[in-house]
Amino acid sequence: MRSFLAFTLGIPLLACADTAPTPNPGRAPEAVLGDKHRPLLDTHCKGCHGPEKQKGKFRVDDLSYRITDPQTAERWQKVLDALNSGEMPPEEEKQPGAQQKADLLDELAHALVAARRSLSDQHGLITLRRLNQREFKNTIRSLLGVDVDTSDLPADTDASRFDTVGANLFMSGNQFEQYETIAREALDEASVLHAAHGTQKLLRLEVESTNAAISSYVAENLDAHERAKAWVNAVDAAANRPENASVVAALRKNSKTDAIFRRSWEKIQGAPSPETFGFSTVENNADKANRAFANGHASLANQTRYLQKPGLETGAYLALHDIDGGLNGSLFIRFPNDFPPGDYKIRVRAGLAPGAAPERRFIDFGFKGRSRPTTSVHEVTGTLENPGIFEIPFHRNWKHRDQNAYGVYIREKGTADSFEQLNFKREQGRKLNGIGPEPVIWVDWIEIERVPESEEAVPPGLRALTGIPLDDKHAVPKPEVLRTGFQRFALEAFRGAPPSDRYLDRLLAHYQEARAQGTRHSVALRETLAVVLASPKFLYRAEPAETRRPLRGLEMATRLSFFLWGEPPDTALRTLGENGDLLVPQSLARETDRLLDDPRSKEFVRAFTRQWLNLDRLDFFQFNPTLYPRFDYGAKLSAKNEVYESVALLLRENGSIRNLLKADYVVVNPVLADYYGLPAIHGDQFRKVPIPPESPRGGLLGMAAILAMGSNGEHTSPVERGAWILRKVLNDPPPPAPANVPALTRLAGKVLTTKERVMAHQENPQCASCHRKIDPLGFALENFDAVGLWRTQDSYQATDDQGKPIPKAVKTWDIDPSGAFHRGPEFRDFPEMRSLVAAKDEAFARGMISALIEFGLGRPCGFSDEPLVDSLLLQARAKNLSLRATLHALIQSEPFHMK
Amino acid sequence: MTSSRRQFLRSSTSLIALPFLESLGFRRFASAATVASRPKRLVFLGLGWGLTTETWFPDNQKPGADYPLPLGLEPLARHKADFSVLQGLTHRFVNAGHQGSTFWLTGANQFAVPGKSFHNTISADQVAAAQFGRETRFTSLQLDCGTYAGNSGHGPGLSVAWDASGKPVAGQKNPVEAFHRLFSSEDTPIEKRKTLLRQRHSVLDTVLEDAHDLRRGLGNDDNAKLEEYFEGIRDIEIRLGKDEQWLEIPRPKPSMPAPKSVLAGYKEIELMYDILVAALQTDSTRVIGYRQPVDTLLTSLDIKVFPHDMSHYHSTMGEKLDASQRRDTANSELLAGLIDKLKASKEPDGSSLFDHTTIAFGTNTRTEHNGDNCPTLLAGHGAGLKMGHNIVLPKGTPLCNAWLTLLQGSGVQVERHGDSTGPIKELLA
Repeated sequence: MRSFLAFTLGIPLLACADTAPTPNPGRAPEAVLGDKHRPLLDTHCKGCHGPEKQKGKFRVDDLSYRITDPQTAERWQKVLDALNSGEMPPEEEKQPGAQQKADLLDELAHALVAARRSLSDQHGLITLRRLNQREFKNTIRSLLGVDVDTSDLPADTDASRFDTVGANLFMSGNQFEQYETIAREALDEASVLHAAHGTQKLLRLEVESTNAAISSYVAENLDAHERAKAWVNAVDAAANRPENASVVAALRKNSKTDAIFRRSWEKIQGAPSPETFGFSTVENNADKANRAFANGHASLANQTRYLQKPGLETGAYLALHDIDGGLNGSLFIRFPNDFPPGDYKIRVRAGLAPGAAPERRFIDFGFKGRSRPTTSVHEVTGTLENPGIFEIPFHRNWKHRDQNAYGVYIREKGTADSFEQLNFKREQGRKLNGIGPEPVIWVDWIEIERVPESEEAVPPGLRALTGIPLDDKHAVPKPEVLRTGFQRFALEAFRGAPPSDRYLDRLLAHYQEARAQGTRHSVALRETLAVVLASPKFLYRAEPAETRRPLRGLEMATRLSFFLWGEPPDTALRTLGENGDLLVPQSLARETDRLLDDPRSKEFVRAFTRQWLNLDRLDFFQFNPTLYPRFDYGAKLSAKNEVYESVALLLRENGSIRNLLKADYVVVNPVLADYYGLPAIHGDQFRKVPIPPESPRGGLLGMAAILAMGSNGEHTSPVERGAWILRKVLNDPPPPAPANVPALTRLAGKVLTTKERVMAHQENPQCASCHRKIDPLGFALENFDAVGLWRTQDSYQATDDQGKPIPKAVKTWDIDPSGAFHRGPEFRDFPEMRSLVAAKDEAFARGMISALIEFGLGRPCGFSDEPLVDSLLLQARAKNLSLRATLHALIQSEPFHMK
Repeated sequence: MTSSRRQFLRSSTSLIALPFLESLGFRRFASAATVASRPKRLVFLGLGWGLTTETWFPDNQKPGADYPLPLGLEPLARHKADFSVLQGLTHRFVNAGHQGSTFWLTGANQFAVPGKSFHNTISADQVAAAQFGRETRFTSLQLDCGTYAGNSGHGPGLSVAWDASGKPVAGQKNPVEAFHRLFSSEDTPIEKRKTLLRQRHSVLDTVLEDAHDLRRGLGNDDNAKLEEYFEGIRDIEIRLGKDEQWLEIPRPKPSMPAPKSVLAGYKEIELMYDILVAALQTDSTRVIGYRQPVDTLLTSLDIKVFPHDMSHYHSTMGEKLDASQRRDTANSELLAGLIDKLKASKEPDGSSLFDHTTIAFGTNTRTEHNGDNCPTLLAGHGAGLKMGHNIVLPKGTPLCNAWLTLLQGSGVQVERHGDSTGPIKELLA
């Protein structure tokens, strides 16, 4: 990090002591439409919308080509809408040339986007920021050491902005009450956690205990099958008697299957009851016998095979979840009642059966409970003879006790994400060996351990309450003691901003009123503290200023910490803020590095990257498990983490953001290494793995998560992918999809290649104006299928109304990724396109810097920020576009120091 | 009540009236009263991603009462005389294709305010609530589909409702939540509840103290933002005021059992409709908005097409078109069921709930990214509007004109709404 200190010293720094630097208002570039479009409007519009006639009370001839006010923007929008909808020029009039029209639409749409951006520019004004959902959760965790569920809070943002933008963070009465509720829950949780401080617990489950149940289950099934066979034979014998012929014929006619036929055994003279053969439960015994009879094939064979596997005396296998239960679809360990909340570890000793395919060496881990998906995915190393132990840390909430998260499970990866997947895997296995997939993961034991907290590990919120018991086992403290405790707690919760005396008086009064009503001390205390956590100084990050002014030290500490950690400053940072040291550039740079090196910077990496790259889209749809069996939940989770880990690596290794465009490495875990067909790696963590030069991986455009987002879970979407590249990589976002464009219907039912279908849209100038830029980029990625795996062919199958394939309405073609940038260079394939994109690293850096400004400053990045963007880019370029250097430059910049 | 709160409450114009009780005597008296004397109700059902243009709209060459029902409206055949379809309505400021609900009831211009990238104004339901809500336990009720809103094409917002400052109003995200908010009975004795109310006031006083402290020294923009907090507290104060007024009156018993589990899609909408009817029946509120799930509706119909893609059925037709049409049919079936229930629900004067209710059923997105000819269906006789007609209006008629007509017809004192230019004559009976 030495090099950084030198760097930060080298750039122009800000004097933040007494003199307020005048903020640079910046010059908003005007949104201007080129004069070259005037002839088109003059020729085709002026006749009816000009000096002579003003049809619809609308004139185009006096419209300013500089769009500087909302009224002009609105009038141009009308022009754009009328052209897009095909309403103007009227059908019977002479139409402008397609190319000419597309160019006008292209430029006008962009000019309007620019005008909106310019008109909505906040000119550096940062609106008071409420803690967003994520920051609220993190802040509670840092204050009280507990995790709260914030999913009930209203969403903070729409897709187009970061969740840090103050102007978009609203507040309402309902929301206030939700904050109160969550605060109470957090305090309850903290009390329970505190009471368990230092507790160690350990429980080991020797999983061979599960085999006895399996064995008796299988024995029962075998026996039932034999008895059922005997019953079926007896019924058949009776049915074959001549005197039953007519009855049987009638029954057969109405029975689709033998099983249904046998349900009517009573009508067949001489047929014995299923009860005779031991099927004597309350009802439906014939059905039970039928099922036991049918069970004779794959299912029973599957169960029997299990019992013949080696190693059952000392362990058990993870199997595919059996339709009838019985086998270990997962291994589960339940928390005993006296295991308190806290930090836990689960340890598993396991090994792989000989011959296990490498892609089957992973397990999913998660909490048992209603609709709780896999939390993480892990690699099993070792063999039956020489098992390995892996360890997964997790936090157990007290509140989870009654949310069905009463234990934790492990199961083979990708075997039970959905029923569809489960059935598919079973069928696949049966096709292979007639029985089903062979279990390959053998487990010796599982244990869970509660990790005791160290003596000094008391969260700051509780430390502030020293001297005040959280329970009712001790004497109730005197009012002075309580008041001091409230003061210290509020000071901590308000991140160093002092609570007023009257506020403290009211808190105390509130506590005393509750006590007077007979409320227990512990409850009254928590109720009172919950009020603090719903107070404005906790919920808002105020930087009080009547006019623009530089930040004070403590405010700077808070801004920095929320930027890089998404939570309040720790004691060290707060102290530097309080004594003003933080405002010294070197000290600020040192703290920036410290925060970035701390594991808590994970929050910056995730929150920023997720929103910047729009990663939420990955969770928009279900990936079809039968079309894409390899992209199971564990693979998807790993793919998403790859994006985060790639950004984290840049921070760790002082890497250039150019590596996000093209890199000679990938950052993967064993699951992804397998997914990408790289040589196997071992150990759960993500790490940098070199790739050969000809590999399509390396850089965002080769990442499975990014590619899968550009699909709908079934098919790729070249349009979505191309638009994403323009938005996120080339910093040239297409304008919003125009409203009211006439639909193209003539392609329906035609069997076309993706390219033919998409290209047909470009015949229409309204569509061509944007799609000529978007589509070629998307086509270049067609070698990646909907889940980012490489392919050379694609096919289209037309379907009928029911979604069933229409026979023969199918087309398969070799993918042609070649194309050209709109009015730009040509490329033959994906690697060439990627190289061309990688050469536009400045555009990419610009886009990323704008995003960092918005995320970090909590306001949209407007035109007036262009000088700031320029300056940051200049500084970043001097440092090889290092992400870390860019962050340093932003943090040292004047706007970052200004309210 | 402390002086600060009295001051605080004075700033709101809310008037809290005592509830209207139906004694037996009143019932006998009311049966002679005219239908018009019952309170008016308004229901706004937001559909997110539009519908199938070709098969949902009646033929616009056949305006009037004698029009053949198109495929998408067929399930509504038995109610044909009780709803009207409006064609030609639009919000002139809305150019976004993925926002079925954000401006649906407001008609605002997102970019109206320089220096802001998002602006909205009060929604029609909240205009009605400001007036109707004084007399009911709940000023208005917002039902919502929560996290599914994005994939359902509703756009930014937390429900169809936007308050007087153009802020999103949050809703109840599932039937269980909605039911409990409306009908969970209070076991706590009245004295205890009075104490609890006093403690609530004490909490609000405390946070206000901190808010006042914080306000000192804030600039204008920050102050405007913090004002939301004050408004929030003021809303709670008003609600507490109502709670005090309603303290002695037990919660009504709904005619339905409490929903147990959270259903998704078709069943969920059906259940929300039941709750909606129960809320109106018990006169718990008179204004209800609902942002319906589209995403889970498709899943529940076993449709695999991604909701957004369904709207772009023109390129491939086939499966996407089929999904779009099945969605329309499901929506119409559900609406027909809702109308059945409203018709079956008798008011104390013998008329039906449907006679006093108007349902607005539609969205700001038609098909694909199109916002012209916003699908709009009005049902019910609460606003005295012309029912049973296919009303074809001049292209580009402000959708807000429909809201204005609806509000005025329901007795809301309002001169204009959004970008309205006047009531729609063709809609007046």
